[in-house]
Amino acid sequence: MRYDSITDAIGNTPLVRIDPAVHGLRNIDLYAKLELLNPFGSVKDRAAWNMARPHLSAAAEGAGQVVELSSGNTAKALAVLAGIHGLTFKSVTNRMRIPEIKDLLLLLGAEIEELPGQSECLDPTATDDPLTLFHRTLSEPDSTYLHTDQYFNPRNTEAHFTGTGPEIVKDLDGRAPDWFIACVGTAGSSTGVARALREHDPAVRVAGLVAAKSDFIPGIRTIDEAHEVGLFDPGTYDTIESVSADEAIEGMLTLNRRCGILAGPTGGAAYFGAVRQLRAFDEELADGEPAERQSAVFIVCDRVESYLSYVRQRRPDLFGRPRRRNSPADLSDAELRTAPAIGVADAQAWIATGGPLVVDLRSSYAYAALHIDGSVNIVDELFEELLHGGLPFSRNRPVLLACPVGEKSARYAALLTRMGHPDVRSLTGGIIAWRDAGAPLVRD
Amino acid sequence: MGGQPLYLEPRLEPRLRSLLGAPALLHTLTDALGSPLNMVVPDQLADNLQQFRSVYGTHHLSGQVYFAHKANRSSALLRRLAATDAGVDVASLGELQHALGAGLTPERITATGPKNPEFLWLAARTSVTVSLDTRGELEQLATLVRKHALPRVRILLRLSGFEASGVRVLSRRSRFGTAVRESAPLLEAVERHADVADLVGVAYHLDTTSLAEKATALEGCLRVLEECRSRGLRPRAVDIGGGFGVNYLAHGGQWERYTTELTEAVLGTRPPLTYAGHGYGLRNEAGTLRGTLGLYPAHRPVAGARYLDELLSHPAASLGGRPLAALLLEHLYDLHTEPGRALLDQCGLTLTKVLEVRGQESGGPLLVRLAAKADDVALEEHGVLMDPVVVPRDPAGAGADVGVGTGPDAGAGPVAVHLFGSLCLESDLITRRTVFLPRRPEPGDLLAFANTAGYCMDFHATRAQHQPSARKVAAWQEGDTWRWCLDDQYWPTTPVGGAQ
Ligand SMILES: Cc1ncc(COP(=O)(O)O)c(C=O)c1O
Repeated sequence: MRYDSITDAIGNTPLVRIDPAVHGLRNIDLYAKLELLNPFGSVKDRAAWNMARPHLSAAAEGAGQVVELSSGNTAKALAVLAGIHGLTFKSVTNRMRIPEIKDLLLLLGAEIEELPGQSECLDPTATDDPLTLFHRTLSEPDSTYLHTDQYFNPRNTEAHFTGTGPEIVKDLDGRAPDWFIACVGTAGSSTGVARALREHDPAVRVAGLVAAKSDFIPGIRTIDEAHEVGLFDPGTYDTIESVSADEAIEGMLTLNRRCGILAGPTGGAAYFGAVRQLRAFDEELADGEPAERQSAVFIVCDRVESYLSYVRQRRPDLFGRPRRRNSPADLSDAELRTAPAIGVADAQAWIATGGPLVVDLRSSYAYAALHIDGSVNIVDELFEELLHGGLPFSRNRPVLLACPVGEKSARYAALLTRMGHPDVRSLTGGIIAWRDAGAPLVRD
Repeated sequence: MGGQPLYLEPRLEPRLRSLLGAPALLHTLTDALGSPLNMVVPDQLADNLQQFRSVYGTHHLSGQVYFAHKANRSSALLRRLAATDAGVDVASLGELQHALGAGLTPERITATGPKNPEFLWLAARTSVTVSLDTRGELEQLATLVRKHALPRVRILLRLSGFEASGVRVLSRRSRFGTAVRESAPLLEAVERHADVADLVGVAYHLDTTSLAEKATALEGCLRVLEECRSRGLRPRAVDIGGGFGVNYLAHGGQWERYTTELTEAVLGTRPPLTYAGHGYGLRNEAGTLRGTLGLYPAHRPVAGARYLDELLSHPAASLGGRPLAALLLEHLYDLHTEPGRALLDQCGLTLTKVLEVRGQESGGPLLVRLAAKADDVALEEHGVLMDPVVVPRDPAGAGADVGVGTGPDAGAGPVAVHLFGSLCLESDLITRRTVFLPRRPEPGDLLAFANTAGYCMDFHATRAQHQPSARKVAAWQEGDTWRWCLDDQYWPTTPVGGAQ
């Protein structure tokens, strides 16, 4: 495979059969359309390229900027496409809640503007919401913006009508699948593919998947939000079902671990929704005559790597690591109660005569602002890491530990004592007590 | 009405639930004092304060909780507050006088908002901390202190226009505060006026429900405080304003169903849910939903003290990723908050009497007229959608067909109603939406609007058309019974005195 441009690598993604042992359907073959294998990582590469392509060279002459309301994948593709053509890209959205995607976009040179949250003291008559203002600037007469407008642009749908849909038919040996299942974001992929498949066979059943209202699944809309999308027509779908974030992650894990498909949560949602949708139908098929096998296709929109923090927040259990040695979490209540401590006045005297090493466990910013003269700063997280490996200082050197209120330092004093340090103490009441007692703090 | 009734039941915690369970008292009070009638429950304010305090406690933070007075005019609430260890945030000369008169001593008061010379003078005269919006205000205050030989005044600098690193957060323009970008000349002015003004710290109040924006602002404040310290100033506190929110509804499911059906009503795929097809900011443009839903997110699992907790637990992205609370603590800063709405959660209700219940010839919702004006129950004004609770006049008749009603379907069974006020104005709608009630109300019944103490009670109330604005009573429990007095008669000694 040899290409002149990375954009030639967009599309023609594989259609991969899911092992029946995984999904458990007896009479339906289930296929995943692997849009995650597009060059910029998602199904949106197609729409972004199709929408931007006709205007890029003109925009490049006018030194314009590509803009889009995108929470991630479209932005990613557009940022790259803009960059290739010597343009800049700006995304305006308040739906971008995935930190890794934000960082990746910044890395790609994108500018991100976030819309503010809702007003706490509503003015029900206000009309100038930031999005309206944004649209107003876009439509000003001398605007140099290239606004791809993915929620309303028919070229979004068209990319899938001419690309994704026909590819599926081709890979199913010229037949449309009996079922097509897709998540609804801009509605571009589901609408375009559905139209292409139905042209081939009007009997294709199409299921749209939306996020449960109280949940957040990146890239998918809730049913109410779908109504805000110009490309969304409820008539496209034979059924619209909702999927919860937990279910999306469950489906994602199955694809990741059992199928070797490194899908993100939307792919997981599509898989979960597909199997749930097809299961009842599969039973019916099983009850009747030995029927002809049916087929179903779902779309895997993008990859898992960008969603680690999303998953960690919802399923910390998946990231459980074995317990480490010398952890403050292992301390007993008795050990904590008897942790060696010293009050501010005694600590001042001790520092003057006994020369303890004073360790300030606060963050470097706080330490830089004000600290006990002569102390060293080892941030608590780092300190904990050090202790996993053993005592980080000599037993012969007395140690005074200080934190804001003397709570963390007490834990570490107890732990160091348990680890065999003979003379470690926690500053009672911490740096706050030190300050309140009028003891000196410096910023070198 | 089409389909099941779409209830939006108010969240009722034990105090309000108990009060609504005393219909005889509620009817006696409205018979004697008229409709509408506001009731406040001062003891709840003290409990809400404890919840905020306990969040301070879990994060080991010290500092003051200042009740934002603007949310309610009640003297009883303020005097009950004075009996706790909290402070008050006043935004006018009148509020300052009220606070001082209620027993809040100056070190427990901050003055915020737009200020006139009288307000500034009384604040400086009594040594109240003043939160300054601009450099001009600082100059004005300094001049005043010098001219009238007032004591050195404690000041906070209110900042705005915070910028996140990497990502620009667009924000609604705020009239208040100095943009952080322009903090340098402001700090120079503080240094210049060091003989008359003492910098306590910096402040912000952002009108947003977004945690991320507030976290950005708090990080921005930490950075400015660091700048203060490097100039040799000795600030001690960050005041993060109010806006912690309230969860108004009992059931998230009802809210989700309602908003979905509202969307569909706007798109025309189900019958209207509002009077004259009002869309609460949403419009139907060729089958696509446009506009912004102008409603308070009435079901908000993370509100009040829990919201504060989440904010404090939020990692400070630009300062090494430690939680904001840890940074405040490590930098030895006090945290000040100014909750208004959140401290008044479950602190009161508004009673209105049903004057008339009328069926429409064309069918559709019943027309219910109340002895109250829309601005007496300003839930709609604040975009809060929440059902009233029917308090029947004749409890025996409640839910049973015992001939109290006039229509054939009086009594049992859910009904859809439109609630109108008593003004001679087409626009005097208590609710613009169709309200579903579990039974048909009758003239003489009360409709109780729960949880109105925060902004919805007297923030908008007027005396239009010579109609009285609501009177206010304070109520408290002694054992199993509810006691009450006029709002103005309440002092923290009252409940105890009453029992003795
Ligand atoms: C300075 C200040 N503090 C506090 C508040 C109270 O906010 P809330 O009632 O939402 O808590 C306001 C309200 O506008 C305010 O302007």
